[in-house]
Amino acid sequence: MAASSALKRLMNPLIDPAAFDFWVGKVSPLLSWERPLARVVAREVSARDTVTLVLKPNRHVAPVMPGQHLPVTVEVNGVRLTRQYSPTQTGGRLAITVKRVPGGAVSTYLNRDARVGDVLELGTPFGAMRDDPSVPGWLFAAAGSGITPLMSLLRAQAARGRVRTTLMYWARTRADLCFLPELQQMARDWPGLTLIPVLTREADLVPGEDRGRPDSDLLARHVPDLATRQVYACGPAGFVGQLERLTADTAAGFLGEAFTPPERALVAGAPVQVTLARSGRVLEIPAGEALLPALEARGESPAFGCRMGVCHTCACQRLDGTSEDLLNGRQHSEPGMLRLCVSAARSHLTLDL
Amino acid sequence: MTAQQPAPTSLSPVARGNVARRPLTRAQVEAFGAELDALRDRTLADIGEVDARYIKRIYAAVRYTEAVGRVLLFFGIFPPAWILGTLLLGISKILENMELGHNVMHGQYDWMNDPRFDGKTYEWDVVGTSDNWRKTHNFQHHTYTNVKGMDDDVGYGLLRLFPEQRWRPFYLFQPIIAVIFALMFQWGVAIQDLRLGRYFAGKMTREELAEQFRPVGRKMRRQLLKDYAFFPLLAGPFFLPVLLGNLVANGLRNLWTYMIIFCGHFTANAEVFPKEMVENETRGEWYLRQLRGSSNLRGGKLFHIMSGNLSHQIEHHLFPDIPARRYAELSRDVRAICARYGIYYNTGSLASQFGQVVWRILRYAFPSKPVKLAGKTLVVD
Ligand code: FES
Repeated sequence: MAASSALKRLMNPLIDPAAFDFWVGKVSPLLSWERPLARVVAREVSARDTVTLVLKPNRHVAPVMPGQHLPVTVEVNGVRLTRQYSPTQTGGRLAITVKRVPGGAVSTYLNRDARVGDVLELGTPFGAMRDDPSVPGWLFAAAGSGITPLMSLLRAQAARGRVRTTLMYWARTRADLCFLPELQQMARDWPGLTLIPVLTREADLVPGEDRGRPDSDLLARHVPDLATRQVYACGPAGFVGQLERLTADTAAGFLGEAFTPPERALVAGAPVQVTLARSGRVLEIPAGEALLPALEARGESPAFGCRMGVCHTCACQRLDGTSEDLLNGRQHSEPGMLRLCVSAARSHLTLDL
Repeated sequence: MTAQQPAPTSLSPVARGNVARRPLTRAQVEAFGAELDALRDRTLADIGEVDARYIKRIYAAVRYTEAVGRVLLFFGIFPPAWILGTLLLGISKILENMELGHNVMHGQYDWMNDPRFDGKTYEWDVVGTSDNWRKTHNFQHHTYTNVKGMDDDVGYGLLRLFPEQRWRPFYLFQPIIAVIFALMFQWGVAIQDLRLGRYFAGKMTREELAEQFRPVGRKMRRQLLKDYAFFPLLAGPFFLPVLLGNLVANGLRNLWTYMIIFCGHFTANAEVFPKEMVENETRGEWYLRQLRGSSNLRGGKLFHIMSGNLSHQIEHHLFPDIPARRYAELSRDVRAICARYGIYYNTGSLASQFGQVVWRILRYAFPSKPVKLAGKTLVVD
């Protein structure tokens, strides 16, 4: 391994990674000079509109800790799109569970089109919700697909320490719960685990289930010893915010991870924050105003040429947020290139500048 | 407002002299620009999978032709293998240079989010650096197309191609210089941004020049090592045929790209423009200037691919960041729009258009009646 990486360093200036990948890809689509890739080796429907894909990674995929997220890139209609999933690592395999979001290009693709044998591109794992063996007790709160990072933490704990853990898992109906059989089995084998499905739209509850949105009564009922618990909450931003209000002061610790809701376009002139990822600067500019002059007026000097959308000198990556192409009024929310001189912010933006 | 415009007097490639040069009214120019903007939007909305598949296929074609070409050259001791190998390598280099590199660097495929086809980072297989190219070409040439004193591509600071350029005795040598330039085209393009003229005129210090040359020098070294050391050495005893094959393949690309590119802006009816024209230029006026400064080449599908679709120079200049494989279908609409506004659409066969370029090179080597650019306008109020 060490010898091969030394050889690789030596070869690096001679190699064109794209050409290398083109040729080795003819031998096996998992081979690559440096790109982390994985092949789908199994596909299983785990709940309504939800599939679990088991992936075999190549050697460029970094190990994923329980609770961490992994960027997954697929090509849909010629465009490469990236989403984060929380894989569970077992042996040399990664499993991601994908719930189909209405109108979601990637979740639809992974649910409907991904086949065993397909190759996906992965990124670098990230995320702060890690397993911590020194914690004496946990409260995991999940809503919807927020279950997935918690699932990999639960599996890691089930295999190891088995400390006191309560999982409160919100969903609309029982059919929307992912991993239910696995969770029930886990609760049988691991007496310290309390599983409480909280269903907001289910007519008849069975014993062990509850209903209602997160509030202090519900928590007091199921986690009377909250003060000794470390809380991890995962779900939509409103849900995570609510749990933070309910537990941050009373529990032993709180960490939340929210999915960003699709941002709504702001009216022209409303102030938006533009974050420049490289310098870390955060600027406030009016929505709808061309980014290049707006950034310049605030002391930035991005590269530019024609200032009319022709030359692409000012092109940079939109890492996050919604922008508008001022030439045709179309809005773009996927991470991708924009031209500063003919684009305006329509939400808070993060740019690779 | 536009219906009573007469059709262009002639679409003949040798329309020299009888081309309508009537300026448009301001309202007409803006309506004309709006039609092109609408055409641009329609096309952009349709771009997707087929375009992605296309550029990947071009990429594969570059890889395969290069590999087969280089392998054949290892057997270059046998003349048929040498000839075929050299031709294939030349084709590979032309494809990589034009349909792949040039077009990718315009950002035509940025929407794919594929690092292989990223306009900002693509590095092409020629001695010039992509960074310099993005500046001299994407910005200066495409923004200030055929504006004398702003677009360096007007004669490349080496040739007098328009009577609007002042004659100097140096230009008497230009028929020879033009041939040398064609044979060494990639080298000329590589040093274009160094502006050696400024150095010789004493406007740039030696240190400044050395500083600017550093990345170019690095790229040149890399290219030279690859084609004239690495692959020939790999061939062992067949060093020489491989080296010669690479040299000829690079030469073929130089000649071909030179010919295609010169036909894009230096045909008889392509125009140059004064600097003041770009001040406060509207989008419609910018479109019109692009049109009147560019010229197309007629040909079959393969010819268009091999020219990187720069045979559709007009469409490329109107829409430099739309995938070039769309230019053929765009040209039908552009022609129709031009006809509606009575704007001459400059197209012709390669022989005819390049003939006109050669004529310019020969004719303007010699003094000619000076033509004033100042005051030239495309719009009447
Ligand atoms: S500065 Fe040329 S595209 Fe923005």
